[in-house]
Amino acid sequence: MNNNRPVNLDLTTIWLPITGVVSFAHRVSGIVLFIGAAFLVWALDASLSSAAGFAQVKQLLAENFIAQFIVWGTLCALAYHFVAGIKHLIMDAGIGETKEGGKAGAYFTLIVSAVLFVLAGVWVW
Amino acid sequence: MTALTVSIYRYNPETDKKPYMQDIEVDVPEGKDLMVLDVLHLAKEKDPALTYRRSCREGVCGSDGMNISGKNGLACITPLSEAKKGNKLVLRPLPGLPVVRDLVVDMSLFYKQYEKIKPYLQNDTPAPAIERLQSPEDRAKLDGLYECILCACCSTSCPSFWWNPDKFVGPAGLLQAWRFLADSRDTATAERLADLDDPFSVFRCRGIMNCVNVCPKGLNPTRAIGHIRSMLLTQSA
Ligand code: SF4
Repeated sequence: MNNNRPVNLDLTTIWLPITGVVSFAHRVSGIVLFIGAAFLVWALDASLSSAAGFAQVKQLLAENFIAQFIVWGTLCALAYHFVAGIKHLIMDAGIGETKEGGKAGAYFTLIVSAVLFVLAGVWVW
Repeated sequence: MTALTVSIYRYNPETDKKPYMQDIEVDVPEGKDLMVLDVLHLAKEKDPALTYRRSCREGVCGSDGMNISGKNGLACITPLSEAKKGNKLVLRPLPGLPVVRDLVVDMSLFYKQYEKIKPYLQNDTPAPAIERLQSPEDRAKLDGLYECILCACCSTSCPSFWWNPDKFVGPAGLLQAWRFLADSRDTATAERLADLDDPFSVFRCRGIMNCVNVCPKGLNPTRAIGHIRSMLLTQSA
């Protein structure tokens, strides 16, 4: 007799509705934002250290693709986190709490952030 | 007859160290749409040891909640045509609860959360000679709440409940908490809110809305939780 009861929690087998996908991505964007902030703080610190440091960071952001990509990724995470947060506030006001409304809110979040991702890309490059 | 592969989560505590998926081939009659529960009966004919709960077979008792091709639902009212992917049907126990055997889970944690919200009418005024009356408008506030059959499909689809089944009341329990908060005959509103006023009981809800997406009765725990949250905020303001 095996007294250690198993639990069925293999997430790859469990359906996640679009509202759940958007919520999960909200969390991921928060983590990316946190990591991205470390880079930004480093860049700020370096740029303030001396005139040479400032020039170095400026050049990095103007020419280095990886640095640009990190900035763009952080901006995207910020944009998504912001839009999903706004969706949360709207839902807290009692709007979009139905099954259909939740779906609409999820698509709204995805579409608005996709637009912001593109704008962020235009700004960085 | 068409052949259907039913992939079923199997676990027998007497003989198995670990659960495994077993494929059972069944012949499904053509020309009509079976319910998933009917398919389970066919599979049980092939292997009589197959274990699952069922009772009313019409979506009223809430016994046969399970994870059907990834989505929680009641086997008895989920049509095979909607549930199967290609020629395959995958049946697993409700996620997050300890498995007793095959598709049967231990619902203790779920019931404990239900018990916590004191799911009965509390009224400290003297009992009248007749029933406590309620206006049709007040009665209408209970629609969409009282219909819950406690099948646990919602709570076991909720990540917040998976990670904190002991502290987060979960969608089913909170829908019932709101059912009594909204009842004009209940006078324990302040006590009920005080019981829920901590970081976990209500506020672990992140609006993921898996509950709303799976409830076989079409109920909306997310909205009920929103109402409770507003009440908690206005009373503390
Ligand atoms: S709210 Fe719906 S899914 Fe949740 S326990 Fe009640 S009937 Fe089942």
